[in-house]
Amino acid sequence: MSESDMYGTTLSQESIKVIAETIGVPNLPDEAAKELAEDVSYRLKIIIQDAAKFMFHAKRQKLSTTDIDAALKAKGVEPLYGFHTADHIPFRFASGGGRELHFIEEKELDLNELINGQLPKLPLDVTTRAHWLAIEGIQPTIPENPPPVSKDVQKLESVDPASKLAANAKDPSKSAAAKVQKPRNVETVHIKQLATHELSVEQQLYYKEITEACVGSDEARRTEALQSLAVDPGLHEMLPRMCTFIAEGVKVNVVQNNLAFLIYLMRMVKALLDNSTLFLEKYLHELLPSVVTCIVSKQLCQRPDSDNHWALRDFASRLLAQICRNFNTSTNNIQTRVTRMFSTALQDEKAPLSSLYGAIEGLSEIGAEVVKVFVIPRIKHLGERIEPALDSPTFSSVDRIAAGHIKHLLLKILPPIIKSMRSVPDIMEEYKAEYGYMGIPLHSAVLKVRATPQSPATGSGSSSTNSTNIAAAVPSGVITAAARPVGQLTGVTPTGVNRSIVVAGTSPSGAARQIVTTPTNSQQKYVIVTSRSNPVTPNQSPVVKLGSNQIVMVAGGNATASQSTAMGVKSVFVQQSQPTTIKIESSPSIKVEAPVSPSQNVSSPGALPQAFTDDDVLPLG
Amino acid sequence: MGDKNTLLAVLQYLEKHNLKGTSDLLRKEANLGEETSSLQCPQSDSDVSSMLAAYKSEGDPEKYEEAYADLKRFVEGALDIYKYELGMILYPVLVHMYLELLFNDHEDQAKRLMEKFGPDQEEYFQEDLKKLSHVCKKDHLKGNELTDTFKSNEFIIRMSRDTLSILKRHLSEKKHSVVQNIIQEHLYLDMYEGVARNKQQIDATSGAMIGEASRADNKARVYYGLLKEPDVSNAAIEEEEDDEEGGDKPKKKKSKKDHLYPKKSKSDPNAPPVDRMPLPELKEAELREKAKALRDGSKRVNLGPDTLPSICCYTLLNANHSVTCAEISEDSSLLAVGFNDSFIKVWSLVPQKLRSMKSADQLQDIDREADDVLARMMDDRSSEACRTLLGHSGPVYRVAFSPDRQLLLSCSEDSSIRLWSLLTWSCVVCYKGHTYPVWDVRFAQHGYYFATGGHDKTARLWATDQHQPLRIFAGHYSDVDCVQFHPNSNYLASGSSDRTVRLWDCVTGCQVRLMTGHKGHVLCLCFSVEGRFLASAGADSRILLWDLAHGHLLAELCSHTASILSLAFSREGSILVSGSTDCTVKVWDFTKLAETMALEDVNISHNPDIKKDSDTFLLRSYATKNSPILNLHFTRRNLLLAVGLFDSQS
Repeated sequence: MSESDMYGTTLSQESIKVIAETIGVPNLPDEAAKELAEDVSYRLKIIIQDAAKFMFHAKRQKLSTTDIDAALKAKGVEPLYGFHTADHIPFRFASGGGRELHFIEEKELDLNELINGQLPKLPLDVTTRAHWLAIEGIQPTIPENPPPVSKDVQKLESVDPASKLAANAKDPSKSAAAKVQKPRNVETVHIKQLATHELSVEQQLYYKEITEACVGSDEARRTEALQSLAVDPGLHEMLPRMCTFIAEGVKVNVVQNNLAFLIYLMRMVKALLDNSTLFLEKYLHELLPSVVTCIVSKQLCQRPDSDNHWALRDFASRLLAQICRNFNTSTNNIQTRVTRMFSTALQDEKAPLSSLYGAIEGLSEIGAEVVKVFVIPRIKHLGERIEPALDSPTFSSVDRIAAGHIKHLLLKILPPIIKSMRSVPDIMEEYKAEYGYMGIPLHSAVLKVRATPQSPATGSGSSSTNSTNIAAAVPSGVITAAARPVGQLTGVTPTGVNRSIVVAGTSPSGAARQIVTTPTNSQQKYVIVTSRSNPVTPNQSPVVKLGSNQIVMVAGGNATASQSTAMGVKSVFVQQSQPTTIKIESSPSIKVEAPVSPSQNVSSPGALPQAFTDDDVLPLG
Repeated sequence: MGDKNTLLAVLQYLEKHNLKGTSDLLRKEANLGEETSSLQCPQSDSDVSSMLAAYKSEGDPEKYEEAYADLKRFVEGALDIYKYELGMILYPVLVHMYLELLFNDHEDQAKRLMEKFGPDQEEYFQEDLKKLSHVCKKDHLKGNELTDTFKSNEFIIRMSRDTLSILKRHLSEKKHSVVQNIIQEHLYLDMYEGVARNKQQIDATSGAMIGEASRADNKARVYYGLLKEPDVSNAAIEEEEDDEEGGDKPKKKKSKKDHLYPKKSKSDPNAPPVDRMPLPELKEAELREKAKALRDGSKRVNLGPDTLPSICCYTLLNANHSVTCAEISEDSSLLAVGFNDSFIKVWSLVPQKLRSMKSADQLQDIDREADDVLARMMDDRSSEACRTLLGHSGPVYRVAFSPDRQLLLSCSEDSSIRLWSLLTWSCVVCYKGHTYPVWDVRFAQHGYYFATGGHDKTARLWATDQHQPLRIFAGHYSDVDCVQFHPNSNYLASGSSDRTVRLWDCVTGCQVRLMTGHKGHVLCLCFSVEGRFLASAGADSRILLWDLAHGHLLAELCSHTASILSLAFSREGSILVSGSTDCTVKVWDFTKLAETMALEDVNISHNPDIKKDSDTFLLRSYATKNSPILNLHFTRRNLLLAVGLFDSQS
């Protein structure tokens, strides 16, 4: 305790005078006010002191109005009636006429509304729930118990792996005692010994069940499995395996253009991201490339003309934005690097249109400032790319659809930003000169946005709310403000459905996405189709790897993998690569490599990803 | 003359509170003339001043600071072996100097003194200093709990002979009348023969509001042994024979019997005489219950460092800030929860539902000679899994089951204690006696008696069939936060906000032990199974272990980070568990602790070393998910039941 707070605070004389005025004593002398202030402060402190006793005995940590009442009652003072509130009431501040006032805001209530309105929902009744806190001294990892290794500890260990060793060395007696304590359960690996990499039998079974359910055909089981991934504590031991599973799965399925599997895998990523007990930073080098692949890969499905791989790209973009928000730090610079990678793709003259779409979508999810810096200067150029695809009949319908999507996307994300960038008179010629092909539609869209004042509640989609949320953010800074949940591809939560439908509804133009729920499967599954059909033109499957944060663009060969996806998945099971340090590279770069046959990828399950072995990786920490 | 004075005082009081009618009546009855009324005014004024006169002093207010600084210099300059013991006088001297200055209207000097020297005091006195600093005017001295306590009691400090002589020499040399007066008037220096204590030893036992326990406090003999268990073997054999009809290994059971019912022919030398405290006769049903408990106990897992308990946690959901207490019955079949909204809920933890008794009309039809008359009395149609008891008009702070599981006691902010029948599920008695909120109520292990403690600084002993308390244990300087009966029902322990634990003799009503060492409110108490030790814990998040034989502090276990709300010993006494608001349950190795304690060479004056290496005794710590642990209870088979309160808001 410092000297200054020994005596605490007292009410000010001014307050006393104001209070005196409110009860009709206009000119209270200073002396009286001082005396009163001191005495009232003392009485208040005594009452609060007593009230704290009542708080203690009610097993609370927070003083409530009932405690004050009880203390007053014990002192023989009439308690204050009618001042009950469950919530904290903030003081409001007002100044004017040379006086400053703090007051409690009281809203006027319309009695009619109260009477006629719906009754508030009854609070849930108190219930008991029995669960095992410990079984013969061992705490089971069930949702009712806290996760065995808290997120902070996981974080500490990921940043400083030596800390764990130090802790063990410091207390050898304890770890020894822990071993003695349970000689019977040999297969249950002690939860704190992260150094052992064997999973217990139960964990292996769990892993098998979960991974099979996640990519299996039974949607109900998948929902359950994803739910388990999203909420269950104690998964961190299996996390490396899960991440490897996802990374390998994406590698294989991108080559095979298996859209459904990619969606399933992205949903797994989402579930892992949502699990509040996990600290994913250690495994981002596996997850990031997978997610980025699903955004910018040239081809993600067998029939690019009819399958809705756009939804996957959108979903993965949102995941990536979420990752950036959660894990971007000044040391790993995830957001900067992701942004740079997308913008490089955007600069690339030869990049396929679908990759361009992914890059734009990815950038737009990161934030408005990023769009301003990286997308807007490229509008003219993009216009040049999509114009021929849209207008000339020589291009394939795949390109036409892609171009339509890009155009639509640009019209969705750009107008709010352009509106804030440009001053009021929107001259068609200026737009044309600056944005080329996109000038005219952008002009009309901006006019439309200007006409309708900001109303984020109506279905303007995610991008407008996004831009309003993030507009204030500095481009390179961490974006923390956006609390918008990443929409889901599943129908598990209603928000996911809404979002998809809103997008379809607000874009009535030709290339609208149609989202149809299949009646055959459970309602949670989406089959995504577009309205036009076109011949299939698969030739190359670019795989973007971001192994240990190095971006390697692999132009894959023909997607005629001999192995079945199931085989591919199986092979992942065996893989036991254990990343222990984060490898980081100062400047990510995009390289185009020789085609790698998918079979090569799959048949060498024990090998480390290629980027891993690259020379210019620096271990961190 | 004394009588007349008392009468006058009563009259004064009545006049003061404008109770004209009563005072007139009293005056008439006592044949006191009107002339006395003239005396009243001046006297009531002097009333306060005479109470506070102890602080009257003509000393120069400016001298205090200097005198204190001088005393402090002297303490700091003393030899290391005496330094810490001498240091103990600093806090009480500061407090009394402050009060003296205030009383003589030297507010500024008082404030300066407190600001200058207050923060130097020990961490555990800061809370009281803060409370004192709220008092900054002479007017405030009236009716303040803390200043009254300081004023009317001597602060007790134990000192070795050598330290005391050094202090005396210093005082006579320096001739600081201020300090000298304070030490004379307000400090009680309890001298002992031996070596001066070091800092650790002093810290272990200091911290109470009004100093340490003096030697005289813990001189009385305490019969901490257990009473002879009633002979249940007859009832047990009967029961067992019933069982054996179906069983196929009767011989084996017979051979076990010696182990099951240990012959307690030789009674404990430390046990009180059986007739010391009149205890209720055991009813037949209770005997049978005891036998059942014994048989259950034979299946018990003996816990230890290698066999840690299983813990079943009952988490209360949707109960943010509305639950105040929880309790599990001895046989682990019922859970009672008290609420802020003044009701009590009882859940059944076993498949058997909660039934109520049949109505009077229906009861008349029952054949009273039937063997299963008790079962027949109950109405099967009324069975419910959870029942609510309504009656209190304030938060329910504690509930307690009677040993026979037929009664439930509850205490509340409305200063009443209610006895509920768990057969009819209605309130049977409302005990009124406490004048302020009642914080704790406990049943004696033998039933019939119960004890309460409350805001009125008293603990009280009651019997269920008396509407007034049998004993009032007054002595604590602040709220009595918790009470607990000794297993032999002869003694009652109480823990208080004055940071002391006291042991009271229920028979004589005397305080027999005073144990100081806590640095915060004492919130829970638990006697060890064999009755010799007492564990206490509270807001200072430490568990202290006391030896009742001499009232010494034996061990200090600190690992919790927030208030400890519950303590429990396993049924065979080898494990101590503690539950806390920091959302953990910690398991302590009591066997090891008991082994390492040197009990033999302990006597009244010699304080044994205090075990502080908590880590060696802590076996495990189990965290819950945001659920402070309200209650811990070992079942007869040593399964640990915990009641947690899930806080979804944090």
